[in-house]
Amino acid sequence: MAYCVMCGVKLEDGAVQCPLCRTEVLLPSHVVEKPAEPLFPHPLPEKGTGGISKTSKGIIELILPLLVVSEVTIALTMWYSGNFSHSFIPLFSTAMAALVIAMALVSRHSYVAQTTTHLILVSLYLLGIDGSSGPLSWSVIAVGGIAILWLYAVFTTTRTARTCPLGSASLLMLATLGYLAMINLVVVGKLSWFFPVALPTSLVLFAGVGLFFLLFLTRKRTRLPLADLIFFNLIVLFLTFTALDLFLNRYGSGIWTLSWSVSLFSASVALMLLLISVSVSRRIRRFFTSQNRHS
Amino acid sequence: MIRVQSYAPDGFIALDNSALIYPPTEARFNANTYRVSIDLKQVIVPEILDLAVQEMLQRCSYAKVSLHKGFFWYFLSPNHKTPILHEEGSFPSGRIFRKENNGYLFKVLYSKHRIALECFHALTDGSGALVYLKMIVSEYCRLAGIAEFTFSGALDFSKRPSKQEFSDPFQHFFDPKIPGTPSTGRAYHRIGTGSYDDRVKVISATVDAKTLRERCKSRGYTVTVYLCSILLWALQELQKQEVPVQKRRKPLKLSVPMNLRNIFHFDTMRNFTLFAVPGIEPALGEYTFEEILQKIYLDMAFSQDPKRIRSQIRRNVGGERHILMRFAPTAIKNPLFKLLSDSLGDDLYTAVISNLGYVSIPPELESSLTRMDFYLCPGQMNKVALAIVGWKDKVTINFSSFFNTDTDLERLFCQFLVQDGVPVEIATNRSDEHKEQ
Repeated sequence: MAYCVMCGVKLEDGAVQCPLCRTEVLLPSHVVEKPAEPLFPHPLPEKGTGGISKTSKGIIELILPLLVVSEVTIALTMWYSGNFSHSFIPLFSTAMAALVIAMALVSRHSYVAQTTTHLILVSLYLLGIDGSSGPLSWSVIAVGGIAILWLYAVFTTTRTARTCPLGSASLLMLATLGYLAMINLVVVGKLSWFFPVALPTSLVLFAGVGLFFLLFLTRKRTRLPLADLIFFNLIVLFLTFTALDLFLNRYGSGIWTLSWSVSLFSASVALMLLLISVSVSRRIRRFFTSQNRHS
Repeated sequence: MIRVQSYAPDGFIALDNSALIYPPTEARFNANTYRVSIDLKQVIVPEILDLAVQEMLQRCSYAKVSLHKGFFWYFLSPNHKTPILHEEGSFPSGRIFRKENNGYLFKVLYSKHRIALECFHALTDGSGALVYLKMIVSEYCRLAGIAEFTFSGALDFSKRPSKQEFSDPFQHFFDPKIPGTPSTGRAYHRIGTGSYDDRVKVISATVDAKTLRERCKSRGYTVTVYLCSILLWALQELQKQEVPVQKRRKPLKLSVPMNLRNIFHFDTMRNFTLFAVPGIEPALGEYTFEEILQKIYLDMAFSQDPKRIRSQIRRNVGGERHILMRFAPTAIKNPLFKLLSDSLGDDLYTAVISNLGYVSIPPELESSLTRMDFYLCPGQMNKVALAIVGWKDKVTINFSSFFNTDTDLERLFCQFLVQDGVPVEIATNRSDEHKEQ
């Protein structure tokens, strides 16, 4: 019978480690212990019995009767007011609201699970509302937007995205382009402005973001100054808007010209010059640092 | 005062006041069960055990009941089905699925050498369950030809049940003239480390009763006060890690069930337990072990005052008799009980520690008895529970936990005992999980 060297407790015969501190039991090689009779005849099952907790059960038990009462009340009200044919939206909305609360309790309490569940429910709700008045139209764009939101806000936090950043970035770019193409198809019925405007503007944006990652994130052991971050983001944004203006003018009037984006373009050039001068000349960099001013 | 159940139809047995909360709050992580068990040297024969259980039910017909959901309240009614014996599983005090148990609120389990009784709290409390187990074991030993004896404190098979046995003691001691005890504030709840699920992981510490008693005597306190203090000390150490800022530390409180049968001399077989809530306030500063001992001793003495207990009974029964509670249907009461039970119960204490006391073993059984256990089910807020029972020359301290890997509380508790000169022997059902890591 062994004792744990850390806790000082006597362990069961044949124990491999102390159950309290997990210190391994090291017996002399010639000592072989016969395992003691286990506390319970069967080992622990791999999973628990499952089910939902008391609080979740309580909320669901409250929601269900409330849902039934609300649905019946709405249906009767609509019936007596002679608007029963329009009762789908209030009935469907109430049911979906109850479903959203119930699913929040039933699904796993993690950011990914909860957000995914709720975005799916919101999408279903929008499709339902849109579908109730004829063939699907605006809801397709809204649901596409929700899908893009999920990709940017949820997928990027998953382990899959973190382990394969390049693949994830490509997926995000393709999904964004696909979404823009879909908007074009739904609104116009064909790919009209997608190729001449949306695609090149998006490529400018992606190129800017790519350049940002290339220039800043590949630098090792160097803290990224906040000003550099903000300035570079502004440059990317301003250049994207400039590109949008340029491609829009070309698409609309057939001329390569800038109209409202001239000021943005000038600002981006000024910022770019500042960033370049700061990174090239140490004197200019020192001029803007606090140490210089204090000394 | 005329009780509601006076107008009830035949076969309607009202739950006792303390039991009302258990059926609606039964869920995952809230099994509301506990277990008492006895291990014998002899191999258990299920057929004989079955006869012994039936004999016990013949004598204690108030245990031969099933639970039903009425329009206003849950209620008990006679159960004519045969109780089912279950083979011992892998952990104690899990949920009792009544459909798989022929509707019974208790579960008799057996293994090669063990007879165990798991009870749903709506039927009785730990002391009541111990009486049932004593009766089953004594009858089993008689039928199996092991020995003939009677446990002290067990009911006599040859006598008719007394009225006290099946009456609700809380209604008996209800006094509307006194004020109810005000509720206490919230307590600290450990976050713990790692994942948890609803499998009950056990660490069983066995200590020598004589050594433990000597240690307690040298400090001048009872075993319950001593063990409660160690638990509070361990919780204080863990809280220091989880909440580094002193002024943000919430009070540490324990829920210690008090067997009111001894205080009011009322021998009921239904629930007759209320909880003492001794505790410390670590926000005011760190407590030494001696300070904790003193605080617990005073709090326990304060809680055991019969007048104060009557005031607690006044509050609990007063709530049950409130007109809104009486005439609200179960469909409304159930979800509210589920949602409010945490804030009125589990939220008020940090851990549960229940001492069943020393079980005196008849001399005829001493040579056959190898082990005795008492287990509580943990809860979702307080994921570690501690149950203590003394037998022969041993005291078994069983930690039941929902945590998969976190054993910090158990470790600190046992290390303290060892350092204080009380040798501890450990057994667990966690072994497989630890091997995996």
